[in-house]
Order: sequence, then C-alpha cells, then structure tokens
Amino acid sequence: MTKIHSVPSISTADQTLVLSSLEHDQLVGAKKHHIPRRHFKTPELIVLWALRLYLIFMMAVVGYQVWMAR
Amino acid sequence: MKPVVTEAEVVITHEDVDRAHDRVRVSAARARRGFSSKARLLWLLVGPGVLVMLGENDGPSMVSYAATGAKFGIGFFLPFVVLTFCMAVVVQEMTVRLGAATHRGHAELIFDRFGPFWGWFSMIDLGIGNFLTLITEFIAVRAGLGFFGVRPWIAILMALVILYGALMSHRYWTWERITLAAAIFNLIFIPVALMTHPSWHSVGHSFLTWQPLPGFNKDVLLIVLADIGATVTPWMLFFQQSATVDKGMTIKDIRFGRIDTVLGAALATAAAIATILATAPLFAHQMTADNFQAAEFAQALQPIIGRFGASLFALGMVEAGIVAAITISTSSAYAFGEVTHKPHSLNLPMGEGKSFYAVLTLCAAAAAAIVLIPGLPLVYVVLIVNVVAVLAMPPALVFLFMLVNDKEIMGDLVSPLWANALATAVVFILTSAGILFGVSIIAPNIFAALGGQ
Repeated sequence: MTKIHSVPSISTADQTLVLSSLEHDQLVGAKKHHIPRRHFKTPELIVLWALRLYLIFMMAVVGYQVWMAR
Repeated sequence: MKPVVTEAEVVITHEDVDRAHDRVRVSAARARRGFSSKARLLWLLVGPGVLVMLGENDGPSMVSYAATGAKFGIGFFLPFVVLTFCMAVVVQEMTVRLGAATHRGHAELIFDRFGPFWGWFSMIDLGIGNFLTLITEFIAVRAGLGFFGVRPWIAILMALVILYGALMSHRYWTWERITLAAAIFNLIFIPVALMTHPSWHSVGHSFLTWQPLPGFNKDVLLIVLADIGATVTPWMLFFQQSATVDKGMTIKDIRFGRIDTVLGAALATAAAIATILATAPLFAHQMTADNFQAAEFAQALQPIIGRFGASLFALGMVEAGIVAAITISTSSAYAFGEVTHKPHSLNLPMGEGKSFYAVLTLCAAAAAAIVLIPGLPLVYVVLIVNVVAVLAMPPALVFLFMLVNDKEIMGDLVSPLWANALATAVVFILTSAGILFGVSIIAPNIFAALGGQ
C-alpha cells in the first residue's frame, strides 16, 4: 500500500481534491519511479544506427551547402 | 501494462493541486449532457494540439510559404501543404496517446525505456534544432517589427517581455490561454490573402489537379523540404506530449486530444495556404524573391495590397516568431527537466521550478542575444533550419513509433495497423526527400540522371 503525504502548506481539502481528481500515476511523486528499460532487437538497432549515420551524413551535406553558398 | 509504482511513499505537491483544480472542471463538464457541455469540454481540453500546429507556423515556416508562393505560384504547392499537415496530424496524434497513457514526457520515456545512450542522441538533435529555430524566431520578430521602423533591440525586448509575461502566472492553464490567444493571430494571413483577390477558379483547379507542377530541380527540392520542415519537426513531438502531460490529460481525453490536433492542423493549414496565396502575385508579376526574408515580402507586397495589407503581413511574421519562441523554449525546458528529473511544469511556483524556468528563459535570451550581434551571417540559419528539421525527423519518428507500439507502456492503446502503415509512409517520404536533397548537392550528375535539373 502506497502512503500519501503532502508538503506542509497544502490543506487537507486540497489533498483530498488531488486524490479524487488525479490518477495515481499522474502525481508528481509517482513519476519519480522509472519505467523499466527495454532492450533492442538486432533489426531495431540496425535501423537506429542507419538513421543515426544518415543524420550525421546529411548534416555534413547541409554544412557543405552553407559553406559553398558563402 | 502500465508502469508499476513500487515505493511506499508519494508526496503531494502544489503542482498536483493546480492540476487537480483543472481536472475538476473537466470532470464537471464531462458529467453533464448536452451540446453546451460538450463545447465546454472541448474548450477545456483544447490547447496542446492547436499550440503545436500554430507554433510550427513559425518565422521560417511562414518565410518558406511566402517564398513558395512568390517563386512557384500556387499549383502543386497548395495541395502539397495540405498533405504535409495530414502527415503532421498522423504523427502528433501519437504523442497525445503516449502522453495520456503514460503521463510521461517524450524525453523522459526515451531515456527510461531506451537508456541514456540513445536518449542523449535524441536530446542533442532536439537541443541543436530548437536553438537554431529559436534564433530564426527572433530574426522574424526583428524583421517584422523592422517594417514599422522599430529598432532591433526594442523588437527583441518586446518579444522577450511577452514570453516572460506568459510565464508569470505559474499556471499551465493561464499560460496556455495567453499563448492560444496570441497564436490565433496567425490567421492574420487570411485577410492579407483576400486583399490580393486570388482567382478562386485557379485555387480550385490547383487542389483538384495539383497542376501546374513546378519542375524537378534543386530549388524546388529545397522548397519542398522547407515546406515539409514547416509542418513536421522534432520539437513538436516533445512539446505536445509534455504539454498533454502537464495539462493532466488522461485516456478519457484522447478523443478530444485528437480533435484538438486536427483543429490545430486545420487552422495552421488555412494560415499556410493564405500565405502562399498572399505572395503568389509576386510570382505572377515575375518579381524575384530569391533572397527575401520576412520584411522584404511585406515591402514587395505593398504596391499590390497597400500599406495596411503589408503591415498585416509584417505583424503576422512577428506573431509567428513570438508564439514559436514561447512554445519551442518551453519544449526545451520540459525536455531538460524530464531527463534530469528536475521539476518541470508550467504549474510550478518559481521557487520550486528554478531549473525549469531558468532553462526556458536562458534559451530564449541566448537566441535573442545572438540575433542582436551585428554582422553574423544569420541568413544561412533561416535558409537551413527547416531542412535540418526534416533531416532530424526520421530518427525521432522511429523512437516515437517504438514507444507508441510498446504494449508494456501503452497497453491496448498501441497503434493500429493502419496508423503504423501511415507512419511508416511518413518516415519513408521524409527520408527519401532528405536523400534526394543530399544527392542534388553532392552528386549533381546522379541527380540529373534521375531527371533533375
């Protein structure tokens, strides 16, 4: 069971309002917990690296174009 | 399966209280029946989608649309712009679902789910893109107000005052309404277009036939890329998801989130088409607009639509720059807070959100300061910023698709097959356009062999 506390300046009425209006994982405190990591499959890694190399290469092309336009 | 909270204690903060007050109004509107309740619910839930779409009708985007009309007329580009906004809707709808289902921002999800190695890559893309784009927003403000003779430093100061003024309430709701009110002025391009007395027969013909085609050369490719970059960019993904979370939207609100996104796209399309129509007379008069920036378009249009029309056009550029400066700097601040796990919300009081407000204000102030440095060749930044956005989009989209198809965090809200097919088509179009652009620059012979000039 999760214990709920509030910072001292928040009234009991506001605390009740928060608990009745927000979903539990909407609470700022609940978001401190990380979502578990997933690991990539090989095809996903290939796509990610291909797009990363594509981006680096294309940025160099844009840099070259700007250089030539000067 | 939603993320499981395992620790035993959760502390309620002022940010939670503010969000709860907003949610109470939504719940009350949802509980009532009738058209007026539905309209009120829409009023309460509209925001992130309209802001992201009108925010993306920013300084460089409006310059791209103006250049499109001035250099190529209407023809192919009117339906093409509608198509690019359809792509934007497909992509942005996914961020609404992600935000509502996980209550986490985009940067936070990438870091948590894929780890810091890929997370930092995506943050570097976002950071560079956002900063370059912010510079161009202040260039647009400076140029637009320059049309009225306002000195550059006063123009920049005015933009910063509006940006910081919207933050002063420390409430997401108030910030959103102020920014929405400013964003609606994007539609100022519609009366400007009407003043040029466009031929509605030609407009209809253009939408039905996509004719005349503009040819296939480097200039056309650059303007096609710039127009795509004017509608789909990485900051939009990060902003809309974070704003959806900050607004407190839940799974129940996804339908209205979609309406919000489509409404934003419709308004932004109207403004974009109006800008093309407004500058199309320059094409008809065969005026060269190769090196035009925001103010030059207004000056060139003055003989056609008069001083008042030209002034509206210049004001439109100012609005585009200011609203985008607000949304883009906010997206940077959200992303920074999400990856560093510092408080990140527009509901935060200044004392609790120092790092969030510091990043937001420093990003904007640094970009504004650069614009005021005399002699910097900033024209290149304006020319390439939309192209850079298109090039950075495919890697960002792949992360988005992986997240939105991740059953462990999305449950039943994973994308259906048709949405994945559309999304894959968007990645294919963006990557192909980027590769074609690259070929036209570094291998013009191959480009010519493909039919390019």
